[in-house]
Amino acid sequence: MFPWLSIILFLPLLGSFLALIFARRPRVCRWTSLGVTMGDLALVVSLLAGDLQGRFGPGGKWLLFEDFPWIERFGIRYTLGLDGISLVLVLLTVFLTVLCTLVSWKQITTRVGAFHFFLMLMETGILGVFLANDLFLFYLFWELQLIPMFFLIGVWGHENRVYATVKFILYTISGSLLMLAALIGLYILHGSQTGQYTFSLQQLMQTRLPLATEKWLFAAFLLALAIKVPLVPVHSWLPDAHTEAPTAGSVILAGLLLKTGAYALLRFAFPLFPAAARMSVPLLLGLALVGLFYAAWIALAQKDLKRLVAYSSISHMGLVVMGTAVWSSLTLSGAVLQMVNHGLTTSALFILVGMLDERVHSREVERFGGLWSKMPVFSAFFLFFCMASLGLPGLNNFVGEILILIGTFSSWPWVAALGFAGLLFTVIFILWVVQRTLFGETRDPHIRGQAIPDVTAREAAILVPLAAAVLFIGLFPGPILSLLQEPVGALIGLLK
Amino acid sequence: MTDWLSILPHLILAGGGFLLLCVGAFGKRSSSGLLFALALVSVSLAGAAAVWVVPAAPQFLGMLEVKGYGRFFTFLFSVISGLTLLFSHQYGKNRGLRGEEFFSLILFAALGMALVAGAVHWLVFLLGLEILSLSLYVLIAIRKGDPGSNEAGVKYFIMGSVASAFLTFGIALLYSVTGSLELRLTLSPGLGAGGLSVHLLGFIFILVGIGFKISMVPFHLWTPDVYQGAPAPVTAFLSTGSKVALFAVLLRLASYAGDGLWGSLIPFLWILAALTMTVGNLSALAQVRVKRLLAYSSVAQMGYLLMALLAVKQNGAPAILFYLGAYALMDMGAFGTLATLSGEDTDLDGLDDFQGLAFRHPWRAAVLTLCLISLAGLPPTAGFIGKFAIFWAVFQSGYIILGVLGILTVILSIYYYFKVIVALFMKPPILPPAAPPGMLADRLAGGVVLILLLLLGLFPGAAFSVIQQALSFWAKVP
Repeated sequence: MFPWLSIILFLPLLGSFLALIFARRPRVCRWTSLGVTMGDLALVVSLLAGDLQGRFGPGGKWLLFEDFPWIERFGIRYTLGLDGISLVLVLLTVFLTVLCTLVSWKQITTRVGAFHFFLMLMETGILGVFLANDLFLFYLFWELQLIPMFFLIGVWGHENRVYATVKFILYTISGSLLMLAALIGLYILHGSQTGQYTFSLQQLMQTRLPLATEKWLFAAFLLALAIKVPLVPVHSWLPDAHTEAPTAGSVILAGLLLKTGAYALLRFAFPLFPAAARMSVPLLLGLALVGLFYAAWIALAQKDLKRLVAYSSISHMGLVVMGTAVWSSLTLSGAVLQMVNHGLTTSALFILVGMLDERVHSREVERFGGLWSKMPVFSAFFLFFCMASLGLPGLNNFVGEILILIGTFSSWPWVAALGFAGLLFTVIFILWVVQRTLFGETRDPHIRGQAIPDVTAREAAILVPLAAAVLFIGLFPGPILSLLQEPVGALIGLLK
Repeated sequence: MTDWLSILPHLILAGGGFLLLCVGAFGKRSSSGLLFALALVSVSLAGAAAVWVVPAAPQFLGMLEVKGYGRFFTFLFSVISGLTLLFSHQYGKNRGLRGEEFFSLILFAALGMALVAGAVHWLVFLLGLEILSLSLYVLIAIRKGDPGSNEAGVKYFIMGSVASAFLTFGIALLYSVTGSLELRLTLSPGLGAGGLSVHLLGFIFILVGIGFKISMVPFHLWTPDVYQGAPAPVTAFLSTGSKVALFAVLLRLASYAGDGLWGSLIPFLWILAALTMTVGNLSALAQVRVKRLLAYSSVAQMGYLLMALLAVKQNGAPAILFYLGAYALMDMGAFGTLATLSGEDTDLDGLDDFQGLAFRHPWRAAVLTLCLISLAGLPPTAGFIGKFAIFWAVFQSGYIILGVLGILTVILSIYYYFKVIVALFMKPPILPPAAPPGMLADRLAGGVVLILLLLLGLFPGAAFSVIQQALSFWAKVP
């Protein structure tokens, strides 16, 4: 079988080395990066267009599957699997990375080669997380995506970048090292039970664990993933990292990195430790709800637009965790869809704030107002994505939110009710932002007197596909939901 | 008939050292290039001999193990010495490290290391240890005009003598109980209750002596001072070669030790490992001078190895051998690039000296960064696989609490390793450019470290089968 998955996975890695080779010629770097990421996007789209049927891998449920021995001494295999859930997230990854190279076209002017090196290296890391089916391989990619992000924030970020990036790396690595310990523990337990040492997800799921052990192992996984998602109270790295990152960094962070946490929760943590996971459901639901209210509450007090969007991420990802925790076919589909939705709308908002920052060198809500009269096209896009973000029917977030909340209602009615109330808070603060930035009088005299150029052709090329995707999912969620149906069914079956 | 061929690597190292001294004494004054080439050739030949010359018997005269384990380490020390020579090439030009004494001392030290790691007889061990230590005393203080270097030399000399005294006394105690100087015989016999206590005492003395050399807490206090005072390539050599050699002995002793002896040692080792990891990492946190930071980091690295030593009876040895190799590469790379990035006179010292170097010297900074990432144990580097193997061995043999403590200290270590990376990449430069442009030797050494770290990190399978082979000979020796 042709190794499509490996090619998709390692094409960006190849591109990253090309970027290093051409490091002295920024233009070449940008075009290489654009070419490579577009190529990857084309590959994934062509997969989508081709004849995809679940017939590979264990159980014959995978759309594509690759499996080779790798480090035989430890029973580690190079196993990649693509099912509907992975496919949707892989598509999101390659799509957003193309936008990232476009966004950085003018914004990144120093050390362009190194920037694109890290950008594409990270793409490989993230794709690897979504495709890996061997836990060792998963962990490798899980860590691999952190280091490029550390550099993207730390070298190309804003004023407080060093503080933000060190905080980011300390939070995330602390969690993931504990996860590594749990991973090794699980591996040894499985090996001592069956005599076969392996990291294969399918086989590790068969391990019989004493409940006390299972709780500890799950706790370590949960901590690592909760930091990444992030759940309150381990979220505090996120606003800093988002605010200080360059636009492309924020897009990847919000659009993709957070998704790896939620994805690992439903792909690895829950199926591996079903009993402990079931016991943690009230905790997870509670944290998700707290996040929903708390983040919206804190967001109201923010002055920086990027911080605002960052806090809205926390509340949206809370919903994703809620959908995962309830673990019904409705909520799981909703959770995956909501990951994509959040990836699209939040990225769009970060991109818009970045464009504003490039023009007036400020992100303070207090200084804006009346932007609609100055830059109507920009403002229209801003309003559109804000509406999507607060869950206007007909746009993408609405579909995901409604699936999650309806699914939750049937088993946890009060949680769903509180969730709706929490969404109301989100609506309030987003409307507040829209009102303070787009309408009324421009409050800062300096900006008031300034003619601000509207959206350029390059920027339109970034925003229009995003808007199209938002609208498409909002109006026709069918194709994506049908992709998710089968793998979600398989996941449900695992926790029966 | 004596099988001289089986100690060919050792002969080459010794012969090369003497040849260098002769060439230096009788050759022309300006022949430092020739000396460098000779030293490099000797080291390469020794390494090649260790790889390709297959000894007929496993041991040489019942004194020195030449197959398997011994061969593995002889090769590793050739690599370490070769890298030290390459890293010191440019560095030494402005600092007078180009004389015959520098090169020949490196070769003699390498010989000492090979003897120590291969010794199956306490006499050979002591002989090797003294060759190694004497060479290092001089190498550390080789910059005669530099008070820091001299102070470091004296410190290491005093500590080293104390350590030797402990070791010798411990060996004497073992001899008094068993009447033998063969390593295996002094450790393994089943002894009565009275014998065991003297036996244990002897082993503990030896452990203390080795503990000084590998800077095990609480015998580590000399480490930061000596590492800081010594010229950077010598520090690289000292922190990799000498520690790896002594740890090789420790591993051998641990796996030879009889069950009774080993059982009573485990609590000591548990505490020492926990202390070494914790104190090493905690002390490194506060450091703002990079050589001292790396010194404490090497203390902590020894702690991880000590932790794995507890698992030696449950097949922990392969993990230790792999980690020793990985550690040698990454620590050598870190101190070595520090040397090549240093200006013409002093070594880079404070974190602010490193600021902004990444974009001035991208390749060397990349090597340094990869070494730091590897020391921190992140993929896709050799350090990650090494840590994985170690934690696997530790959890496997049931030391859960110690393992979790180890993971927690690794989390601490992330902070200080990344502190250096932050200075390299994310802070504006303060000093005017001082480092000389990279020369062929630096690039070669840096490239070798970079490629090996990545290769071992991504495809460790081959290395593990070599290690397995090295250890399989070991099991067969009576």
